[in-house]
Amino acid sequence: MVCAAALTLLTNASGIFIVENDTINTKKIKPKTIRKKPFKLFNFSHKLHKWLMLFIGAQFVIWSVTGTYMVFFDIDYIHGDSLVVTHQSKINPENLTYPSQALFQQYPRAKNLSVGLLIDREVYRFNIAKQQYIIDAHSGELLSPLTKNTATAIAKHFYTGDGGVINAELISSNPPFGLRERHLPVWQVNFDHFSSPTLYISANNGKAVGKRHQFWYIFDWMFRLHIMDYGDEQDPSNWLLFFIASLAFFAALSGLVLTYFKVIKPMISSGKKRANTAKKTPQDSQLSVGDKA
Amino acid sequence: MMIWVRKIHKWASLLIGLQVFIWVASGLTFNVIDHDKARGNVYRQTLITKQSTIANKDLLPVEVILKSYPDTIELNQANILSQPYYLLTQQHGLYRHLPNSYHIVNAITGELTLVDEQLATAIAKASYNGPGNIKSVVLIASTISDYPKQQNPSWQINFDDDLETSVYVEQGSGRLVGHSNSDKRFADFFFMLHFMDYGTEGSFNTVQMMLFAFITLWLTFSGLIWTIHMLRKGKYRVKKL
Repeated sequence: MVCAAALTLLTNASGIFIVENDTINTKKIKPKTIRKKPFKLFNFSHKLHKWLMLFIGAQFVIWSVTGTYMVFFDIDYIHGDSLVVTHQSKINPENLTYPSQALFQQYPRAKNLSVGLLIDREVYRFNIAKQQYIIDAHSGELLSPLTKNTATAIAKHFYTGDGGVINAELISSNPPFGLRERHLPVWQVNFDHFSSPTLYISANNGKAVGKRHQFWYIFDWMFRLHIMDYGDEQDPSNWLLFFIASLAFFAALSGLVLTYFKVIKPMISSGKKRANTAKKTPQDSQLSVGDKA
Repeated sequence: MMIWVRKIHKWASLLIGLQVFIWVASGLTFNVIDHDKARGNVYRQTLITKQSTIANKDLLPVEVILKSYPDTIELNQANILSQPYYLLTQQHGLYRHLPNSYHIVNAITGELTLVDEQLATAIAKASYNGPGNIKSVVLIASTISDYPKQQNPSWQINFDDDLETSVYVEQGSGRLVGHSNSDKRFADFFFMLHFMDYGTEGSFNTVQMMLFAFITLWLTFSGLIWTIHMLRKGKYRVKKL
């Protein structure tokens, strides 16, 4: 009963009258409509949507703009994957003329030995306690910490772009934003391009430990705005977001109700009307049959 | 002009209204969810890698190994269950989850070692401190729904604990890819909804996402203009509430 009443109220509110319902329900509804303020889902949703959006609508704009940035720029591109080549050059065992046994004699505490390439020459990498080292596998010469020239050459070897190196700077403490402290010391090599790409080359192992460009910093800002993180926690569970998102929940829900009444329902009823006018006689007889049943 | 703003707002809401609601609801879920639980690492412990008692100089020299495997890009010492091995990279991906190919060579015997069901199970057990027992072991060569980014074949070791923990071990390298459980899958479900990643590719840079994001811009900006218009026309009056 209540359901049927509510349904009629709703249809009245949106200005649509469905004849078959009215004929059945008018008598039962009358006492309800006498009440001062009957609950009308449409009116309630309309007010809720209007007022909530006045206060948090700006955040919806921010969410949509930042979200659009994040989905349109490929995340691999944002990470700078396209800035570097993954070289597949093989080790030539013939070039390992400085034997590993000699290495262990010279550095008896060497751990985590690895053999690889530094641009095009075979090198041994290892660490003693937490300190990393590189030595030339041909001569046994200690190469770390890398010089500016070597670091720049390595960066160029990895970099995919055409632009030249603007400058290179050794960072030993206070890593710049976006680089982990454990990678220090690093050579920061900046390239000439409108997105200002930077490669970070570890001064102790010669590997590219970071790659950043302007689009990554923009992405980071977009993400912070998206999760309403105005501190520096990078944490989506902050109270501001909870408060706004909770309101947004009802704002979006009421918006859906409005969409139903203002778009979907008129579409259905106009569809029915069109069908009615097109095939008047057969449709009418069908409807009356349905009513009686 | 306002007619068009209203029309755009209504039609955009018809097209994407439901997804906007899903975005807000799933976003709110991320806000209230327990992020530690959602990592799926409740029963994970760090692999205890005792440095093997054998000194490095007593292992097979790397030069000998490299001569037997000439197509090596990089050789690394590795400890698998406290046993010394050499991990040889034959194909190198930018990240470990991208296609890589390896040989694992026993550093004492020089024997080529494969991460078979038995070894994978042992690695998984060493990383697990929950109450469960192993229920099943499967080798997955296609996309892993728990780790959609992982592109290398991996062993899935399933435990029969209360959280239905699964442990993943990469077949080529013996690397522990990670743990997953029902808490993580619950969170992943909401990420899937939020990213419209209905094909579970582990990506939000999809065509449907871009299309919806584009329409959302129309929805929010038309809404913004509408609100400003109503403010200017004095449609916001408190007494009307």
